Amino acid sequence: MSPARFFLGGVGALVLAYGGWLLWSRREPADVLDAAVWAGGAVLLHDVVLSVALLVLGLVVAGLVPRVARGPVVAGAVVLGSLTLVAVPVLGGFGRETDPTNETLLDRDYTAGWLVLAGIVVAVVLVWSLLRARRDHHQPHSGDTPT
Amino acid sequence: MKAPASLPDQHSFSSRLRSAAISARVGTALAVCFGLAFLTGLVSHYAQNPTQPVPFPTSPAWGYRFTQGLHVISGTAAVPLLLVKLWTVYPLLLARPSMRLKRLVVELAERLSILVLVGSALFLLVTGLQNISHWYPWAFSFRSTHYAMAWIAIGSLVLHVAVKLPLVRHALSHDVEDTELDRPGATEPGPLSRRGLLRATWLATGAVVLATAGSTVPFLRRVSVLAVRSGEGPQGVPINKTAEDAGVTDAARDPGWRLEVVNDTRSVSLSREELLALPQHSEELPIACVEGWSASGTWSGVRLRDLLDLVEAPSDAEVVLTSLQESGPFRVTLLQSGFVEDDRTLVALGLSGEELVLDHGFPARLIAPNRPGVLQTKWLARIEVRA
Repeated sequence: MSPARFFLGGVGALVLAYGGWLLWSRREPADVLDAAVWAGGAVLLHDVVLSVALLVLGLVVAGLVPRVARGPVVAGAVVLGSLTLVAVPVLGGFGRETDPTNETLLDRDYTAGWLVLAGIVVAVVLVWSLLRARRDHHQPHSGDTPT
Repeated sequence: MKAPASLPDQHSFSSRLRSAAISARVGTALAVCFGLAFLTGLVSHYAQNPTQPVPFPTSPAWGYRFTQGLHVISGTAAVPLLLVKLWTVYPLLLARPSMRLKRLVVELAERLSILVLVGSALFLLVTGLQNISHWYPWAFSFRSTHYAMAWIAIGSLVLHVAVKLPLVRHALSHDVEDTELDRPGATEPGPLSRRGLLRATWLATGAVVLATAGSTVPFLRRVSVLAVRSGEGPQGVPINKTAEDAGVTDAARDPGWRLEVVNDTRSVSLSREELLALPQHSEELPIACVEGWSASGTWSGVRLRDLLDLVEAPSDAEVVLTSLQESGPFRVTLLQSGFVEDDRTLVALGLSGEELVLDHGFPARLIAPNRPGVLQTKWLARIEVRA
């Protein structure tokens, strides 16, 4: 390992340790535990639930979606999946209970907004797939897989 | 896939999309987002500190609006980037541990540092997105915990970059379809090319930004259908906390309300009419919330400095502002001398040419340039020069 990399790693470890000290020294142990549960829970949710769900989704796409549409469907899923995850707090509207009389918070129709976004993604995926199918029909030798 | 009898390991994943060539590229973008969020977060944390060895600047007036908007935007943009990044490296999570002790210790240390990195990064994004929607399903204090986790995340990120630097250099200096860094067996073409997956990732990142950034970027308001705020509100400005939720409705409407301005033994007590009889000034200043939303307003009222002159406050005075609120972390705030001396700092009595509405802080509120919204004290009761 070069000295520069070693130095960089050392700086990272020190900064990390400072963060750990900040977390530990400024809060009650119960708060630190709660934060650790949230961080650990997020890792588990990702590594077990979301990752396995994506594996299953991959199998479903491979099994049900015609080859020519798989690329567009996967790209669409990356976009719509990201939008949906980011939208969980507003779609659920959980924050409204914190400030019940605040009409300027969470003041959009998020379900309608999400449906519009989903509609756009689905439409683009469909049009893109049809264009690819037509192109493949005209040029049967150009595959959709990368070379 | 291997025979179902054996546990899956890194060789069970045959897609050539789960490649370091993609991890390095998405990881670089992710590091930029986390770096921006970290720096802007430090600015916000410092701006809220009562003690500031270097005074927080009062100009430009839109500075905090910019940095805090960027903080929330870069955190939101990191969501698709982090998910794609983790997807590409997922097989490594299931890699079999080494049987050689020395090698095993190194592997465990690296795995631990990655666990800390992923845990703190997910924590920051999840709690950040919840916080901007006022959803607090936890017991810890958001501000101090998010702050400490940010140091943990950025420290473990720097450590991770140091460990992976040769790999990242190699990946970025070769074509994205280059297979030299791939795991053996990861040769199966995916539904997309690697370039295709990268493009989908950048598209997803752009989409989440456009869908949410309208909370702080006015011209995106109409396309940001998932933004926590529409940007609308009474007198054209959204509200963080209403008078009713703060429990100040009766006290704020009391005709006997007076603003106390105190400097040691000198003090004056002013009704709203008396405040309105003093020289009035108008300033266009943003309300910029720590939650990343912001809106500009035209505020009118009395210069804070003019009020302090009534009690002969010295020119380098710091003042303590007390709200009518009976509780809450921002009931009492400290205004540093730089803000006190700035001519744009007002005790506002009006907004958008009208009398200030109750939810914006009637009968009187503070509005200062380049200051976090939570410190723009509403429903003022007392202004006292700090001894």
